Amino acid sequence: MARAARSGSRADTALFATCALLALLATVLPLPIRDAIASSLRRTVVAPLLALQERAERARTAFAARDAVAAQVDSLVLRNAELGQLAHENATLRGLLSLSRQLQWGFLPSEALHGRGTGDEHMLILTRGAEDGVQPRSAVVAPAGLIGQVTTVDPSTSLAILWTHPDFRASAMAADGTAFGIVRPHLGEEPERSLLELRGVAFRDALKPGTLILTSGLGGVFPRGIPIGVVMGDVNTSEAWSRTYLLRPAVYPPDVSNVMILTPQRVAAGPMDSVWISVARADSAARGVAASGDSLARLAALAEAQRRRQMDSLRTVLGIPNPADSAKRDSSAAIAPPVRRDTTRKTP
Amino acid sequence: MSVQRALRAAALFVALVAMHYFVRPLLGWRVSMDFLVIAMLLVSVRVRPGVAAVVGFALGLIGDSLHPETFGAGALAMSIVGFGASWLKAVFFSDNVFLHAFFFFVGKWAFDVVFVVAARQGGVYDMATQIFLWSPLAAAMTAVTGVVVLLLFRSMLEAPSS
Repeated sequence: MARAARSGSRADTALFATCALLALLATVLPLPIRDAIASSLRRTVVAPLLALQERAERARTAFAARDAVAAQVDSLVLRNAELGQLAHENATLRGLLSLSRQLQWGFLPSEALHGRGTGDEHMLILTRGAEDGVQPRSAVVAPAGLIGQVTTVDPSTSLAILWTHPDFRASAMAADGTAFGIVRPHLGEEPERSLLELRGVAFRDALKPGTLILTSGLGGVFPRGIPIGVVMGDVNTSEAWSRTYLLRPAVYPPDVSNVMILTPQRVAAGPMDSVWISVARADSAARGVAASGDSLARLAALAEAQRRRQMDSLRTVLGIPNPADSAKRDSSAAIAPPVRRDTTRKTP
Repeated sequence: MSVQRALRAAALFVALVAMHYFVRPLLGWRVSMDFLVIAMLLVSVRVRPGVAAVVGFALGLIGDSLHPETFGAGALAMSIVGFGASWLKAVFFSDNVFLHAFFFFVGKWAFDVVFVVAARQGGVYDMATQIFLWSPLAAAMTAVTGVVVLLLFRSMLEAPSS
């Protein structure tokens, strides 16, 4: 019994000594050999533990970064919400640039501030005044057409009435010059309150729905050729020898934040028939360029995808391995359209 | 020790080793518990000293595989701790909680001392800082964790018949 215990004890000591010697030997091995042994252990026995450790590290990193990620998501949501507004603003500014290019001279760009008080809904505050050369009765226009007329001029600001104002009047005509009349706001109930009326059109001059109505230039306040609206239909009135038409306005005042004030000199210089036609053409041309750019990019992407498919099938027939497959690349990435450049941004 | 009890102890051993590679990285603390030492001490009191040394050597190699520059130091330290703990099994399995904590503490600290000396990483100041500052803190953490493990798995870890 004692001999067995003694031999067991000796075996234990021998095992311990062997382990300790091997461990000491491991500490003095050259680094490449230690690396090789450690590497083989990591690839076999320790691999599941390493995977576990990697997951834990990832979980901890994700937990630590959750606040930053939430903040980034919030920023993205906010930026996304602002995109629509930016696009609208961009379109407006592009229209103003186009209008200013066509007008060339005799205009003052201005910001338009909408009144918030009762009775202010038909007025605009303009950030240009007498010091800038603004005069009463100057026409206020936007890229889409007529907005209103300056009524009061202060040194640095001025007030303008919108076409929705009950006192607003403008001499107007059909775009082909066949019918003339006076445009005034339609003073009915909402939603018709946001429409215009063309009154005093001679009974013989019937206008079809969709006819463009422009300023006629008569009276010397508004030059000829500024779009006012489009005929929607006629209105039954008690007047026997004239017709009244309902117009859909070219410009909705709430959408306007930047305007042009036409100087009297520019008005006196003559008609502006070609200005708004050119603006409309330039705008549609810009949209066309953007759209054609998109379609060209789409066609190029489709052609590239077709070429890749042909190459793949050729490789399959000839038995050539596909390098993209060996790298396990996502094949959908190959046919993804290239990043579209911002076509709305103008280079200086 | 019955086969069933041996299987339970083995399962706990594997779980502790897995926790070493999951809980510690998850917590990311500068001073952390050492589940490998706890597993080693729990096994050591159930096997002969020679076997404990072999198990310690294997566990040490697993730990060393992630640090090739100190390869072998962990195996040496774990062999010594396992062999020593197996000799002291009678004391270790008394019913006193503080004694358990003390032996976990001593086991972890002894492991760190042997490891730091065998690894010879850094200067004397670094080694002393590690041995006399960080190691006692880690040993205390390990002792607390070890006692918690013992209390949680008391039924599985009944004292082996001596």
